[in-house]
Amino acid sequence: MTAPDKGFTLSPNPPQHALHLHRELNRVWANDRGWWGQITAVNHTTLGLRFMATALVFFAIGGVLAMMLRAQLATPAGVFLDTELYNQIFTMHGSIMMFLFAIPMLEGLGIWLLPKILGTRDMAFPRLTALGYWCYLFGGLIMLTALLFGVAPRDGWFMYTPLSGATHSPGINADIWLLGVTFVEISALAAAIEITVTILRQRPPGMTLTRMPLFAWYMLGTSVMMLVGFPPLILGSVLLEVERAFNWPFFEVARGGDPLLWQHLFWLFGHPEVYIIFLPAAGAISTIIPVMCRTQIVGYGAIVAAILALVFLSFGLWVHHMFTVGIPHMALAFFSAASALVAVPTAVQIFAWIGTMWRGQPQMHLPMLHIMGFFLTFVMGGLTGVMLAIVPFNWQAHDTAFVTAHLHYVLIGGFVFPMMAAASYWMPLISGRGRIKGLGEAAFWVILLGFHGTFFVMHLTGLVGMPRRIDTYPDNPEWIWLNLTSSIFSFVLTIGFALFAIDMVLQALLGPRTPRDPWKGQTLDWAMMRPTPSYTFASLSTRPLTPGQPAGEVALRLARGEGLLPGAPRGRREFLVTEIGTGRPDHVAILPGNTALPLAMSAMIGGFVLLMLAGLYILTPLALAGVGVLIWRWGRSLTTPHDHPPVSIAPELSLPVHHHSRATLVQSGIVCLLVANGTLFASLLFGLGFLTVVAPNWPAPLPLRGGMTEAILTVAAVGALALGSLAVRLRIGVVPAITGLAVNLLALALVATLAAMALHDPTNHARDALRAVLTGYAGLHVLMSAGFAGFVWQMALRGELSPNRPGVVANWRLVQDYTTVTAAIVALVVIWQGIAG
Amino acid sequence: MSWLMKSLLGPGVWGVCFSAVYGLHGLGCARGWSDLTIAPSSVHHFAMLGTWLAGIGACALLVIVLPRGGGMQNQLPRAGAWIGLGAVVFTLFPILVASSC
Ligand code: HEM
Ligand SMILES: [Cu+2]
Repeated sequence: MTAPDKGFTLSPNPPQHALHLHRELNRVWANDRGWWGQITAVNHTTLGLRFMATALVFFAIGGVLAMMLRAQLATPAGVFLDTELYNQIFTMHGSIMMFLFAIPMLEGLGIWLLPKILGTRDMAFPRLTALGYWCYLFGGLIMLTALLFGVAPRDGWFMYTPLSGATHSPGINADIWLLGVTFVEISALAAAIEITVTILRQRPPGMTLTRMPLFAWYMLGTSVMMLVGFPPLILGSVLLEVERAFNWPFFEVARGGDPLLWQHLFWLFGHPEVYIIFLPAAGAISTIIPVMCRTQIVGYGAIVAAILALVFLSFGLWVHHMFTVGIPHMALAFFSAASALVAVPTAVQIFAWIGTMWRGQPQMHLPMLHIMGFFLTFVMGGLTGVMLAIVPFNWQAHDTAFVTAHLHYVLIGGFVFPMMAAASYWMPLISGRGRIKGLGEAAFWVILLGFHGTFFVMHLTGLVGMPRRIDTYPDNPEWIWLNLTSSIFSFVLTIGFALFAIDMVLQALLGPRTPRDPWKGQTLDWAMMRPTPSYTFASLSTRPLTPGQPAGEVALRLARGEGLLPGAPRGRREFLVTEIGTGRPDHVAILPGNTALPLAMSAMIGGFVLLMLAGLYILTPLALAGVGVLIWRWGRSLTTPHDHPPVSIAPELSLPVHHHSRATLVQSGIVCLLVANGTLFASLLFGLGFLTVVAPNWPAPLPLRGGMTEAILTVAAVGALALGSLAVRLRIGVVPAITGLAVNLLALALVATLAAMALHDPTNHARDALRAVLTGYAGLHVLMSAGFAGFVWQMALRGELSPNRPGVVANWRLVQDYTTVTAAIVALVVIWQGIAG
Repeated sequence: MSWLMKSLLGPGVWGVCFSAVYGLHGLGCARGWSDLTIAPSSVHHFAMLGTWLAGIGACALLVIVLPRGGGMQNQLPRAGAWIGLGAVVFTLFPILVASSC
């Protein structure tokens, strides 16, 4: 392969009238008018801001819940909340802060900022952005409604079984968490997919990965971690919900399950989650520090290596949350060592930041103050984290207020302070206005004082033995003063956050207009006109900024169309797609416009969730069928009945549009989706292995059903799928499509027959439940492949299929191969179980 | 192989090796492999040790074969190999010191 460092010299287009270009682009890219326009919006600026604003509302709600907790704990026998309500409130506080504030906040920042910083016009899949937003909103509303009606989850934000199982939590409280959070996680997966694809495929020509702004590196690390980190949680939630709804035992010891499986699946997600939250924050810090210090970042390469290390290592730590469950010494030592090792890349970044400040001349603008708050707080959180990673200390401090203190130092230090820095840094770009002097600084100091007053003391409260998650402590007068202090300072903290919010609002409404690029930023976002136009750039940059070049310098040239792909002369939303490694221009993508389809889709998924919550299980297939129909429509709008001419992007360069490219954005997106899906499948196999080896009540009492006939049918099903994989490789046309459809339907029939013939009642034992889940997984994927084949067949009937437009079949091939391979693995596992007994 | 993939190799080896040793450890403890002794230790221990050494070997090989010099293009894959080597050695050294089950 060629070294991807070579630059590209594309000569610019001739200048045009900037206002004319603006009008032309705006007609094509702007949202529709009025309320309807908000519903159909797919634009990343609109949706990114909306994500962040909604996340702030949830932060405020989570904060109010925290105040209720602190009010209750201020005195030893508080009567403000009873135990049931206290449990609901701390569970909802933790869940809201993690799933409805932190994750959506970082998604919003990524969605809003990445296209601007990479100099492109939108995210790779705008409709997916919108779908993610609606899923987030509806899922969040379901959880809030439950809180209002007093049926909110109450088993802690990590929902340990058996507490959250059907016996101990009979109501719908736990279902609200499992279904609500999974619903919201659709938005996390959607964001992860499009962030990955956008960063890998939409950079300016010549911006190799090694010249990419650090923020993009950090977001790439984050999105990859989300692709791999969320599936275990989603699997765990689905299994637990199936156990609760249909009585299939996965976590119930008596029937071969094991509650530790839940803990593994949860923390397999839960620890990486901490880094998923931290990396974007660190990305903001790495962007802001050099600008505030009038210099360049020190150790770009070392930071990239540190990100690489963190992305991997953070998946090797999860067991440190389970140190007290009786895991053998050696395993404890592995995870303890990994926990210590992960401090190294974190330290590398901190030293790079300090080095940058050392080299430059730090100016204590407000963003820098918040970064100082970050340093102070996060480093302390890191120290207590190292303490907790030491196994004997962990046994002492486990489940005390010490852990609560630690996690808030890390989360507020490592996420909230950097986000406040980011807010004050990018506010001039969001609103085009500057700050009102003094208010933001006051807010910062009040927050800093309030935070450390509340949580520093909480370390001591923990060391003198106060457990977390208790609502009264009448027999422990020695905890009174510590708790009262925490509670008083927590109100100071709240006042600080309120001041911060007031500052933001006043700034947006009344602040003085700022010049363009007030900070002399070093990334392309500051090369935009203001207020930020819907299409971001009137023409796209011909190359990355050179180090040290202020972005404001290129702003006028881009606005006058002296870059690539100026204006919207064809009346379509277009941007440039480049190759992953080299940044070589590849093709021009045409994006779909405004549509209400995402809203309809998430409403349909929401309908499914509500039917599950209501226990109307027999009606759920209707909602699922609705989702299928909408997916079909979604795909239909990507097809085209005729060829399209190439598009001129620069005087000497014309490129094909995406219909004529194989390596489309959609293809990259499907690869990402399959990575996530593969992780889910691997987690399922891990679950099977774990229960088989570790769970106490194995082997299952009933012998397996099935013999030679079943084995032959299984092999036949896999064989049919292999034929499908063969069919997609034939010349594009109607015959392969029909063949593909036929063999997939045959395989589906075989899987259904096998399920009826060979499976025991899944409620018998975890083994039978897992076999049923594996069969269901295979069946679902065969159905999806059949759907893809049917889709291609319909295209052939309508004359839309052409060897010149290979994208659809290439995507079908990916899905078909995935199905064949996973089905073969399922078949092997099932047959092997039969042999091994 | 693409540049990005090359950079993922080193940490990837760690991922595979760490999972394999953790899996072997769990499996061995549950199935009583630690009682099957071959002097001076158990089958269980040797299985883990072998996997560990294989992981170290793979990372060391990467460090040797990946090209040096030449700016970030070559440095990141090499850094990845070193990260893999350091992580394999450090996170799995308890094989030498801790008792198995
Ligand atoms: C606004 C200031 C905040 C205050 C005063 C606060 C207060 C508290 C308190 C008192 C608890 C412990 C409840 C108990 O164990 O009895 C708690 C738990 C927790 N908080 Fe916060 N918190 C704040 C902000 C945050 C933020 C920003 C996050 C995350 C981004 C967060 C995440 C959590 C989590 C995950 C738990 C654990 C919940 C559980 O035990 O299930 N908190 N918080
Ligand atoms: Cu952790």
